[in-house]
Amino acid sequence: MSAEPTTKTSGQRSRKDLACTAAASAYQKQFGADLKRRVVDEGEPFAIVQADTPHEIFHVMGIPIITNQWWSAYISAKQLSNHYFEVMAQAGYPKNSCKYCSLGLACTLANDPKTAPWGGLPKPTVLVARMTCDCIQHVFGQWADALGSEFFPMEAPAWEHKDPRWFAHSKDQWEQVYDADRIALAVSEMRDLITLLENRTGRKFDEAKLHYLMERINEQEGYIWEAAQAIGTARPCPVSIAEQMPNTMIPQWHRGSDWAVGHARRFRDEVMERIAAGEGSATNEKIRLMWIGAGVWHDPGFYQALEERMGAVFVWSMYMPFAGPQYIREVQGRPMEALASRICSMNEVLHLPPWMNGWMTSEAERCGIDACVVLLPPENRLSQSGTKITAEALEKAGVPVLMIDADMVDAANWDHDRMVGMVAEFLQKRGLA
Amino acid sequence: MFAYAGPNLPHDLFEATGRNAGPLTWNIDRAMPAADRWLESKFAPWTRSTLQDWADGALDHLEAVVFSRADDSAQRLYYYLCELRRAGSIRGPEPLVLDIAKSPRESSIARDEVALRKLAERFGVDEAALSVAILAGNEKRAASTIEPLGEKVCLIAGSPLPDARMHRMVARSGWSAVGRTLADEWQDAGNLVDEDGDSFAALARQLHARRLDTRGFFDRSGALTDVARNSGANAAILWLIEEDDTTVWHLPAMRTALEAQGLPVMVATRRDWSCADGIDTEIAAFLAGVAS
Repeated sequence: MSAEPTTKTSGQRSRKDLACTAAASAYQKQFGADLKRRVVDEGEPFAIVQADTPHEIFHVMGIPIITNQWWSAYISAKQLSNHYFEVMAQAGYPKNSCKYCSLGLACTLANDPKTAPWGGLPKPTVLVARMTCDCIQHVFGQWADALGSEFFPMEAPAWEHKDPRWFAHSKDQWEQVYDADRIALAVSEMRDLITLLENRTGRKFDEAKLHYLMERINEQEGYIWEAAQAIGTARPCPVSIAEQMPNTMIPQWHRGSDWAVGHARRFRDEVMERIAAGEGSATNEKIRLMWIGAGVWHDPGFYQALEERMGAVFVWSMYMPFAGPQYIREVQGRPMEALASRICSMNEVLHLPPWMNGWMTSEAERCGIDACVVLLPPENRLSQSGTKITAEALEKAGVPVLMIDADMVDAANWDHDRMVGMVAEFLQKRGLA
Repeated sequence: MFAYAGPNLPHDLFEATGRNAGPLTWNIDRAMPAADRWLESKFAPWTRSTLQDWADGALDHLEAVVFSRADDSAQRLYYYLCELRRAGSIRGPEPLVLDIAKSPRESSIARDEVALRKLAERFGVDEAALSVAILAGNEKRAASTIEPLGEKVCLIAGSPLPDARMHRMVARSGWSAVGRTLADEWQDAGNLVDEDGDSFAALARQLHARRLDTRGFFDRSGALTDVARNSGANAAILWLIEEDDTTVWHLPAMRTALEAQGLPVMVATRRDWSCADGIDTEIAAFLAGVAS
């Protein structure tokens, strides 16, 4: 079914200023090796899950998970994305199908162990996704069929309580912010998922363990949020988003573990040390930039490309500041409900008005943002969603916005030099450089 | 009066209100600056027309519009309209959303029932009124008939059609066309609703089981095979628009299923919903080839 993979990328590596960044990457590399050993070599039960599902349940039960977005990024980092897009086209899928969530499916359908990372994934116990868009249930349903497994869909119910300042209350008033009935539905679904996992794996869920994990996650995300607040006020910005992202996301894949809590603390400390020493990501910071969208995983060096040339520093992306309002939860003696409030709107607040524009304009003000760059994947409605209204709100707040048509995992229409040049030209045209 | 937008909606409940103005309509053959300003490219094309109408005040005679959660573009447009009204960028009717849950699970059916009761309360419909409307709706369902078709039938499937323009293209080649428009999808009242027991619970079960929306859990290629067989199709066109992100995932299986029935199949993907991209010429050539 598949031809020899071809690679195409113009991506560049990012510069690392923090010692903890290398430590996070090394941990994740070792974790990947351990995960492969457990699920591929030893056949341990595991699950394939979307990023916005309750990973905490799996952590409590000691069931390994492969997050679809992480697996997509892994495939992309191996320079295999274009190959798998071609595999899908050869199988008869239109070339404009959503790419971000379907790379894993493509890898499975290719059925080519010689090419696939880890030789391809074995049969998981279950695949879990929230139905936040129209395509995900079809991708996961077909992926489950191809792997001989089962798809466990979770609802993404309508949300009628619309508070543009949700982020100011979500930590302790989560029942009001996210709607009690939406939380109750998510809890009901999580209990069904737990039953399925217990029956299939023989492993038991312990709510007391979840309570402890939730408190540990609060501690972890508290460190990240503390660092995010400091980055917002520090001049110059001590750490570019190229390093904010891995130091937030890698611990978040392992949230609540001793390593994750410890790493978050170490990251916070290194950020604070750089602020205290007056060290900036750029030697002469002039322009503070905001990045809206998923990370451009095939070209991490993009974010630092204009630091020395124009003093333009990407100060903000969603991943790090999201730790505060969307992860930290006062448990209030109800860990399942607190967890449900974390996951039942994780995608919505990032892609729908009024939550998206409300939060991002507030964040732009908090961080002293001078201009914003928005990623607009042409074939992904969910990732596009809310960007124009948010761009208009930012412009109204005095923040110039550049929107670029590109995809976070598809390098085919991305050229590093062209994209960097586009940002530079935009900054010049808007009188910022 | 209120209108509605989207598939998988409770038509019996709508009729019980006595204020149902029917589905929103669309006109995509015009400039739509408001849509260009606020909507991203992957939204279903009808949403552009709706947003433009809303911004132009063309819907001001309505008190509300009910959007379906069973369609991603419809539910996203609901949030956009709410926000644009809050910001004072547009005026117009109140956007409402009906939260249709579709997972094959009891909690989703219960969610649908709660959503129906909430909407009924908004429109002042009680159980007795809904029960009467369900009886009337079932009578209409039982009385519906299927139009007879010609000898040569071409099935058009994939994305819902904008109107009958593709039917007319097929007819120009001397064939009869079978294919559902978006209006057909939205106005489809579904199968009979259980008349025993609680009316809201019965309507919730009917909505949950329906198969016409983008989020339903069912075998789409199997369902398409049934349609092809029941309509006596002699050829098929699988037509998918650029904005489609649902049926695209079933295209290979659908094509295989139709070809397994011995049908010649024309596949047209990434197409323009207005059909102004030369599809008429392609259809004529395809059907001429089939006829020969």
